[in-house]
Amino acid sequence: MAAYEPVLLRNKGVENSTALKVYESRGGYQALRKALKMNPEEVVEEVKRANLRGRGGAGFPAGVKWGFLPKDRTVTYLCVNSDESEPPTFSNRVLIEIDPHMLVEGTIITAYATRAQVAYIYMRVEFHEQFHILQKAIDEAYAAGYLGSKVLGSDFALECYIHRGAGAYVCGEETGLIESIEGKRGCPRIKPPFPAVEGLFYKPTVVNNVETLCNVPHIIERGADWFTGIGPQHSTGPKLFCISGPVNKPGCYEGAMDITVRDLIEREDMGGGMLPGKKVKGVLPGGVSVGILTADELDMKMDFQDPAKYGLLGLGTAAAVVIDQDTDMRSVLRNMARFYGTESCGQCTQCREGTAWMHTIARRIEADGGRIEDLDIIAETARSMGMMPGLSICGLSDGATYPLETIVKKFHSELEESIRAQSPTETDALAGAVGH
Amino acid sequence: MPKITIDNREIECRKGISVLQAALEAGWNIPHYCAHPGLRVVASCRLCLMEMRMPDPKTQEPTWSPKLVPACQTPVRDGQVVRFDSDRVRQNVKRCMEFFLLDHPLDCPVCDQAGECHLQDYSYRFGEAESRMVDEKLEKPKKDIGPRTLLYSDRCVLCTRCIRFTQEISGTHELCLVNRGTRNEIDVFPGKPLDNPLQGNVVDICPVGSLIDKDFLFKRRVWELESASSICPGCARGCFIRVDHCDGTVYRLKPRYNPKVNDWWICDEGRFGWKYVHDDKRITAPVLHRGHEKTTPKWEELPEILRYRFEEQMRKNGPDKVVAMLSPFMACEEAWLLIKFIREVAPQAALAMGPVSEDGENQHFPVGASGDAVRFTILKEKCPNRRGIELLIGAAGGKTLSFEEFVEKSAAGDFSAGWVVGGYPAEWVDKAAGKIAPKFELLVVQDIFPNALTDAATIILPSCAWVEREGSFVNSTGLIQPFERAISPPEGVKRDGQYLYEIAGLDGLYRAGRVRELMNATIEEFAAVFEAPPMPAHAH
Repeated sequence: MAAYEPVLLRNKGVENSTALKVYESRGGYQALRKALKMNPEEVVEEVKRANLRGRGGAGFPAGVKWGFLPKDRTVTYLCVNSDESEPPTFSNRVLIEIDPHMLVEGTIITAYATRAQVAYIYMRVEFHEQFHILQKAIDEAYAAGYLGSKVLGSDFALECYIHRGAGAYVCGEETGLIESIEGKRGCPRIKPPFPAVEGLFYKPTVVNNVETLCNVPHIIERGADWFTGIGPQHSTGPKLFCISGPVNKPGCYEGAMDITVRDLIEREDMGGGMLPGKKVKGVLPGGVSVGILTADELDMKMDFQDPAKYGLLGLGTAAAVVIDQDTDMRSVLRNMARFYGTESCGQCTQCREGTAWMHTIARRIEADGGRIEDLDIIAETARSMGMMPGLSICGLSDGATYPLETIVKKFHSELEESIRAQSPTETDALAGAVGH
Repeated sequence: MPKITIDNREIECRKGISVLQAALEAGWNIPHYCAHPGLRVVASCRLCLMEMRMPDPKTQEPTWSPKLVPACQTPVRDGQVVRFDSDRVRQNVKRCMEFFLLDHPLDCPVCDQAGECHLQDYSYRFGEAESRMVDEKLEKPKKDIGPRTLLYSDRCVLCTRCIRFTQEISGTHELCLVNRGTRNEIDVFPGKPLDNPLQGNVVDICPVGSLIDKDFLFKRRVWELESASSICPGCARGCFIRVDHCDGTVYRLKPRYNPKVNDWWICDEGRFGWKYVHDDKRITAPVLHRGHEKTTPKWEELPEILRYRFEEQMRKNGPDKVVAMLSPFMACEEAWLLIKFIREVAPQAALAMGPVSEDGENQHFPVGASGDAVRFTILKEKCPNRRGIELLIGAAGGKTLSFEEFVEKSAAGDFSAGWVVGGYPAEWVDKAAGKIAPKFELLVVQDIFPNALTDAATIILPSCAWVEREGSFVNSTGLIQPFERAISPPEGVKRDGQYLYEIAGLDGLYRAGRVRELMNATIEEFAAVFEAPPMPAHAH
């Protein structure tokens, strides 16, 4: 296999890579100059041709999304999703830390393509250092004329603001994010209308993930054909993968979407293998919300299609966390359940009550109070919250469904064993408890 | 009118409504909490999810979509095909009902809402007898959120109807959601209680026992209550209300849907404005003054006594010394009967309009709204039937007087015989009016409470509160709206309509509809009264 040439992380290790001068010296902002010579529709067309699928989790083609904007719009907003709150995911953070100007350039080109006049970068509040890095980059871009009322002397004007969140997972959902920017509770909106028609401040709005936008300058600079030449046909372009857990080199790595989970763990230029004495028991390969893989399923490809074959929701954020043989699956179950229980915004009944109930049960199972039927209740609850489409307003509930359902399904025998190994008194006491 | 098919049955429905509303109006009892036809759609309770036929993305063949969609969020479209009668839909409702009850305290025996609770109804229809929840329930507090309302957070299903009401109808924004996920609670902001002129509606629209009216708290089980359709007499707006009563006592007033006047809402002033009905200071028997002697005449003798007394005055003082002051609290039918009597005994009698109470300015809601944005109005004119009385006085012709003219002329001794109707819930006889009594040789005063005029009257006739009578009021926009009687008047009191019917020389029982037929012969407006279109109770 030919060595992969990094695109998104090409400035990794370069001294002072966050500075405008350094970015420019390595070819930065040339794509913007090129884009400004094209008309916006041509830019959209190029991105469409590249089949750039959203990197935030759902994998929706960015160019198609931009195409949904009504033709007769006068005001358009661009929201950049930098809420990055999916557990084990830190690729946006790495991008901003290494190459903030790549994001700024991608934002400017996207705004030009979508005719947006204002871009809001919605950043999770926990990104303190990253906020300062990106703000400095934005300030530099203003000073250099890349942002402001005349971008590079053209008629195109763009204002760019960072909006800092307040620490809610659900604000990474595009309409939750929009509500949050508007100063409201981060509760996802009902659709339709979709943001492209009625989004931020009830105007046409495009919401894209940081990594998605970072791909845009490269597509413009090198062309859609170059982009589609990377990775499999349905999952084109460079992709960042995160790996964490008991591996030798946890971190964020770049590659084409033709690698497997095993590659991500084992390859020397990626995870570098398991820590001494550690063995893989399971992997949550796409952030936690897509579900879990067993040690036998590590040949899953990290692309947009393969995860479904393993009963997973999708590629998600392509951030894998490895669970080793010493970890009690009951703790993993409880940990997952707790996350969604506290992060559900609470609008939809199934998600609000289901996540909390699963957490209550998982907590009891972990504390040696489990019953075999609890596993069935968790699986059934998970199924009645997500899986069947349309049950709730946003995808958080599906995201809560998959890890819990797949853990219970794929690790049923282990969980069952742990429950049977409990001291009998507590189990008996609960077995007798019936009623509301 | 669009035609849609629900569960294999084609129905015609109103344009622009949701599939949920269409189904409810056509008689389906689809479970729902968050949807309310008067409020913004949030589609969050997920109870009304349905299956919809959609063209297959590949073949364009219509097939049942794998996706469930909320009926409340789906507008009706001609030719649409949906179903609620399916395993997936039923399964969803069943699971939702289990979820709603996970942390519910199940305190129906002490809950005011029991008997009219959608959580009870839906659990009965769709839920399970036993819960699989064996863990400790999450406890949420009972909160005193305002001077009139309590919030039991533990019974709340978080439909947010109350929040949306304060945002969209009252425009006062007192209520909000705090915390997240299952710890979500409705709350008020610190130091800003739920205290606006429309706040009582949040109790009405709460589908469960979470928002509770302190005034009704622990007073009665709702299944003991009987209801009468009525009109609020609090202002000239004429909101449709329901009087809930039991054993001759009013317990609460609730709004009734009226698309032309109040939609689903009423104000607190009207809602709690009935307390005077059960005031023990009310006049409870007719009184006849003969010199210094005070007697209680029998009701049967009164028509003859009154007719004789007025005829006596005519003979003695001439035909133009008689006056009748009608009250804007009278029903149209009662006023017509009184006019009929007076004009029969004294064809030249003057007809006067009683004082029209006003208070402050008209209040529009949401606060600050004007024009089309106005969703509810409280009028400053605090009586229900000025229009109706004016209409009848006008139709009767002859000499008419304003209240000021009536007081002035009476004080000047222009009249020797008068019939004065009060019926105001509060003191209405001002200083000037209080002094006119001695100028009359015969003064009949028909009122609810004693005042300066009843003290000096020759004959006092007890009057009934509106909940004890039946008739119609004409509201500020000219709608003639009927109201039923709810309860009996206090012991010893005959209904105004009945004795006026007898005094006017008619035989039998007073029925408002019967009187309107008679009125219609000369006043065509009374050919029909306004009744709101029927709406199934569960449709709003």
